[in-house]
Amino acid sequence: MEPQDLRYHKEHEWIRVEGTKATLGISNFAQDALGDVVFIDLPDVGATLAAEAELGEVESTKATSTIYSPVTGSVVQINQELEDHPELLNQDPYGRGWIAVLELSNPAEVDLLMTAEQYEAFLTSQA
Amino acid sequence: MSSLKRLIIIGAGPGGYVAAIRAAQLGAQVTIVEAQAVGGVCLNWGCIPSKTLLHLVDLGERARHAAAWGLTFEGPIGFDLKRMIARKNEVVQSLVKGISTLFKQWNIQQVTGRGELVTDRQVRVTDAQGGITHLEAEAIIVATGSSWPQLPQFPIDGERVISSKEALDLTEIPRSIIIVGGGVEGCEFACLFSGLGSQVTVVEMMPRLLPTEDDDVMAILTREFKKRKIQLALNTTIHDWQSTTEGIQATLSSGQSVVADTMLISVGRRMNSRGLGLETVGVKTGSREEIVVDEHMETTVPGVYAIGDVTGKSMLAHVASAQGKVAVAHALGTPQSMNYDVIPAGIFTLPEIGRVGVTEQQANERGLQISVGRFRYGGLGKAQAVGEITGQFKIIADKQSQKILGMHIIGPHAADLIHEGALAMQHGLTVTDVADMIHAHPTLSEGLMEAAEDVDGLAIHQARKRT
Repeated sequence: MEPQDLRYHKEHEWIRVEGTKATLGISNFAQDALGDVVFIDLPDVGATLAAEAELGEVESTKATSTIYSPVTGSVVQINQELEDHPELLNQDPYGRGWIAVLELSNPAEVDLLMTAEQYEAFLTSQA
Repeated sequence: MSSLKRLIIIGAGPGGYVAAIRAAQLGAQVTIVEAQAVGGVCLNWGCIPSKTLLHLVDLGERARHAAAWGLTFEGPIGFDLKRMIARKNEVVQSLVKGISTLFKQWNIQQVTGRGELVTDRQVRVTDAQGGITHLEAEAIIVATGSSWPQLPQFPIDGERVISSKEALDLTEIPRSIIIVGGGVEGCEFACLFSGLGSQVTVVEMMPRLLPTEDDDVMAILTREFKKRKIQLALNTTIHDWQSTTEGIQATLSSGQSVVADTMLISVGRRMNSRGLGLETVGVKTGSREEIVVDEHMETTVPGVYAIGDVTGKSMLAHVASAQGKVAVAHALGTPQSMNYDVIPAGIFTLPEIGRVGVTEQQANERGLQISVGRFRYGGLGKAQAVGEITGQFKIIADKQSQKILGMHIIGPHAADLIHEGALAMQHGLTVTDVADMIHAHPTLSEGLMEAAEDVDGLAIHQARKRT
């Protein structure tokens, strides 16, 4: 079961909206598909990202993959703990494995993302 | 071959000493003149010393990783730089001795001092005490190499401001170091010092590290630098700096200030063509003070040859050696020509880089129609077994003929692995030739086969690409 309070993107990122800010990370499906994460290249604080623009790169024992920002905004905080502990992405993708916090430029974009229920259906359809 | 010929070689680096031995093998009577140390910069203050130290750093880092995989140690793994330097000196001494032994076996006469051309057939050697020896021969090879940086804005004091020469003899690990220049040497030292635990800042004028390497390689190396917490200041120069009791205080062109124990200057090597009597004899030099040579390594004066760094063709030891063999062949009457199309090279960063031929960007700039194949180290059983999964194999081929135009590897043993690509290029082989050759399992060499197969989307251990 995916957490109900999050919104999901088809590239398997999630966001949690609080006011005008959104915390984002990768989904449980994504971390499982990646395998053991060994490094994450985090964005710079202050960077402005368009929806579906590249947010960063994550390197696992299997592949190097791009993480996309599900929404438009500017990076106000990054999870520096991931620099030394990238394994948190695997261990706690919806908690301590959060990646960044964005200040939303266009909060209406959030409504375009999937709910937990829709995302679960999406995963089933992809399986 | 012509009858016995006398040959004088000035400089006993990887160009000069190889030329000396080859000439003696072919029957010449050889005298080699060296002012400093047999083996030159490469052996004494360059390739060999830096690889000896980098290997220990690599070993220490891998051992630390392996601690998580069940390798146990009494205590934490650390680096004792004094002993590492002592070990480096032993390696260098043993190799230098090896060359001197070869000189004796081939009856090569060794003269210590600075050589200078008096005529196109005569050399005057001045030793450290001012003693003079006159030598005469039918041919002379100048192999004087290149010098450490002597830039007016960065005078080397050997303490705070150092060149690679001093960097390889430090006995204390600097807490922090600024490296000026993000080329091959700068990148290797960034890995060495970050591995030893120094906080490293690389200041590079260009927008990227290693400007002549393939973009894929550079992107992976840049990511590895981030993992090492190396600070990169690209598109940046040192605006101003001063040496204080606290260390180096530098202001970068970006406005940022950096304080460090030491500053390593890795830019501005100069060709050693001064004070050799070249003007007297009429040997032409170019705008960078390089000695002008033809494809046989002969200068503008017949019978006078130049090889290695001083010719400004390439700053690679193995190219100097190859040029030395070509110069000797010509001098002894069996002319060969230098071909610079297939020159493999290694960059000993952590991880290592091996390259030969064109990069994808160079191919595009030249308007070539190409196909590209890639394969990651992580897809290899051997890489997983040894826990070295970061890296990539890349092959660039002509789209039509499938002939290999370039190969770029970043990852463990890349500089060794690249030679399969070099041999393939030397003989005009295609990606199919490489893909169809059976590669032993489990090895890292399988990565080349997979990358060759990937040119046609046929790599076996690669995730299926969505179409």
